[in-house]
Amino acid sequence: MIAENEAQVVDVARAARAGRRMLEIVGGGTRRGVGRPMRSDEVLDVSRLSGIVDYEPEELILTVRPGTALAEIEDALAAKGQRLGFEPQDWSAMLGTSGTGTIGGAISVNANGPAAIRFGRARDHLLGIRAVNGFGEAFKAGGKVVKNVTGFDIPKLFCGAMGTLGVLTELTFRVFPKAQRSLVLARQGVGPDESFALLRKAWSAPLDATALIHARDTAYVRIEGEAEALAEKKKFLDGWAEVDVIDTGFVPGRRDIWRLACKPTDASRVAREIAAPVWYGDWAGAALWIAAEASQAAKLAALGGECIRGAAPRIVPDARAELDRRVKAAFDPLNLFNPGRMGV
Amino acid sequence: MELAEPNFEILSRRAEIVAGLKSILPDGVVADRAGLAAFDGDALSAYRQAPLVCVLPRTKEQVAAVLKFASANAVPIVPRGAGTSLSGGALPRADGILIALGRMNRILEIDIDNRALTVEPGVTNLAITRAVEDRGFYYAPDPSSQIACTIGGNIAENSGGLHCLKYGLTTNNLLSVTLVTIDGETVRLGHDRGYDLMGVVAGSEGLLGVVVEATVRILPRPPVTRTLMAAFASVPDAGQCVADIIAAGIVPAAMEFMDRRCIEAVEAYCAPGYPAHAEGVLVIDADGLQSEVDAATSRIAAIARGLGAEVREATDEAERARLWAGRKSAFPAMGRLAPDMLCMDGTIPRRKLPEVLARMSEMAKTYDLGFCNVFHAGDGNLHPLIIFDAMKQGELARAEAFGADILKLCVEVGGVLTGEHGVGVEKRDLMPAMFSDDDLAQQQRLKCAFDSGGLLNPGKVFPTLSACVEQGHLHVSEGRMPWPNLPRY
Repeated sequence: MIAENEAQVVDVARAARAGRRMLEIVGGGTRRGVGRPMRSDEVLDVSRLSGIVDYEPEELILTVRPGTALAEIEDALAAKGQRLGFEPQDWSAMLGTSGTGTIGGAISVNANGPAAIRFGRARDHLLGIRAVNGFGEAFKAGGKVVKNVTGFDIPKLFCGAMGTLGVLTELTFRVFPKAQRSLVLARQGVGPDESFALLRKAWSAPLDATALIHARDTAYVRIEGEAEALAEKKKFLDGWAEVDVIDTGFVPGRRDIWRLACKPTDASRVAREIAAPVWYGDWAGAALWIAAEASQAAKLAALGGECIRGAAPRIVPDARAELDRRVKAAFDPLNLFNPGRMGV
Repeated sequence: MELAEPNFEILSRRAEIVAGLKSILPDGVVADRAGLAAFDGDALSAYRQAPLVCVLPRTKEQVAAVLKFASANAVPIVPRGAGTSLSGGALPRADGILIALGRMNRILEIDIDNRALTVEPGVTNLAITRAVEDRGFYYAPDPSSQIACTIGGNIAENSGGLHCLKYGLTTNNLLSVTLVTIDGETVRLGHDRGYDLMGVVAGSEGLLGVVVEATVRILPRPPVTRTLMAAFASVPDAGQCVADIIAAGIVPAAMEFMDRRCIEAVEAYCAPGYPAHAEGVLVIDADGLQSEVDAATSRIAAIARGLGAEVREATDEAERARLWAGRKSAFPAMGRLAPDMLCMDGTIPRRKLPEVLARMSEMAKTYDLGFCNVFHAGDGNLHPLIIFDAMKQGELARAEAFGADILKLCVEVGGVLTGEHGVGVEKRDLMPAMFSDDDLAQQQRLKCAFDSGGLLNPGKVFPTLSACVEQGHLHVSEGRMPWPNLPRY
């Protein structure tokens, strides 16, 4: 089924509700394998819910439909010297998928990029949404201004919800200015302990770094600004050398992919414990990306990892899981949307 | 605004409720009339109501026991930090327990390496910065009440401050929170699993649970901050200046606008030296490294001068303080002109500022009340201050009606009812101006997921309460209402 507008999404949701038909919601399809295995009766294609609805650079506000290509959004913003601060990532190379990465998909899986350490995650940029819930009702939440505390902050719930709470039909973001120049500096030949310590030091200096990454034997820092500011920032980074790009070398192949939130000071110890052949640390160590064998799933889950792709163990029922279950039911009590994908 | 009639069945059980709470908190129950009078409201001062009983827990276990008790005995419970809410978020109920978290005021962990601070909810906003400033760090959200307001209250209201545009609101500076649910369960919410429940708890105004611990992000203090003032001959020029600054790719640390009425009031109060006859003044901070700040301030000054503004740059700390003194004394300056004041809190798309100010002036004539405007210009958050005399027949009602019209205007031009103060009781009945029935139904279902009995801070945020039914189904019309005594409009 293809929905071209919100009214059609409402019709589809109502029909699904009446017929107890479970839907897989698909946009560009590049992130289809993300999350837990799911069962569905039909596919709802929302890729034609697409396009920029409103963009006001002076207000720092962008409203788009979920099927809009990330590239289209980035181009429109760049033309006005702006960007999305959470640096949404196109995961198709990592996942080995093809197609057009969309903003709806990026939000639904929290595809936060390196700059999120400076500007915040997807959830910190999504100001408002329109969506259709499992009752077949179109609703809005949040607002279209950068500062708003009216009612519950439901847009945040949709970040990382993998389409299990409803079908997004419109998203409003705050945007940030794009820096005039950016520069990547690296320290090569450093092990994880030393590398993460260097990154934490850079993180606590007034650099406003937009990337703090350890990959293989290299620490990377990305700084931004005008020429004078870059010169001033480089003084804090004695011993670092300019390089062209950040190369995470993260090619998981057919391995499972995990993302692990961790304390930056624990990053090297946790990485050692997991001993993954392919991994890197983003956000000064606050996020570890790990390509793992299925046999390591239990260990990764116990460390609080999030399985992006692969076999994740069942979520142990506890008070926290119960809250997730009830929140899901508050939006989609019949489990019509992407059933099973969050494991809730 | 009408407050709820108390539930007399609960009032009749007061003695046993007090006794039950005393068994949980032998030294933490306030039940005498004089003691309760100290807790009879918050900074929305027009409303006063002593609680049924007040509890002062010291530990999260005690909080959990109190919530379990409230749940088991079906007694409403209102959380309170320092009581500085401007929207009545902590306004007690005659038939409800007030849980005041001020005694839980320990800083539990200072983790500079991970740039994180873990605190109990009663720690004040400013105390967080005080704890780390000698190491060169600070906590960014800075509501004007920061010397008194607590982090628990900041989380409940998702508080902002002068620096939101660049550094975000409370929710953007949280790493994790520990929440006690109405069932007495203690859950840790962060960025690591499941739905972003921390994201909805922030700003939930005490309707979803009680935060008993929070880990917040601290930032390295920017090495340099510079301040400049720009005075404009017209409001549209000032608005254009703000738009041009943003369009030039500059995000000032703070950017505050005052209208002519406000300038006159603060000049009479503390003479900050804003040019006479200015129709609007902007006070702007740029922070960062020396080169960044130099570049930003010279560009801001050029933009402002290009629009005909008189620009003054602070050359030292004393002048910086003086330029800010005017903005920071807007409340007392207006407060001097009348016995009572309402501070409104809408957000508008910035380009609508001239239109909104003009229409507000028309409204003020109709309502025959004094007012002025301060505006967090960077993020469009407007704070009209309405002055009145509550002792004069009908003035409070008129001031509230004026305020309501202003907020409806904010929504009409594409903005929202509240930018940082919260809905509380103050804007509760205006929610339908911004949200449809379906929008509100979805929010209430979320409320039900956390609090199916509707015991947590009832009477706040939502104009009507609807019964929660199993599996998230909501029957607005046919449901049995759990709080038949709440007024509904």
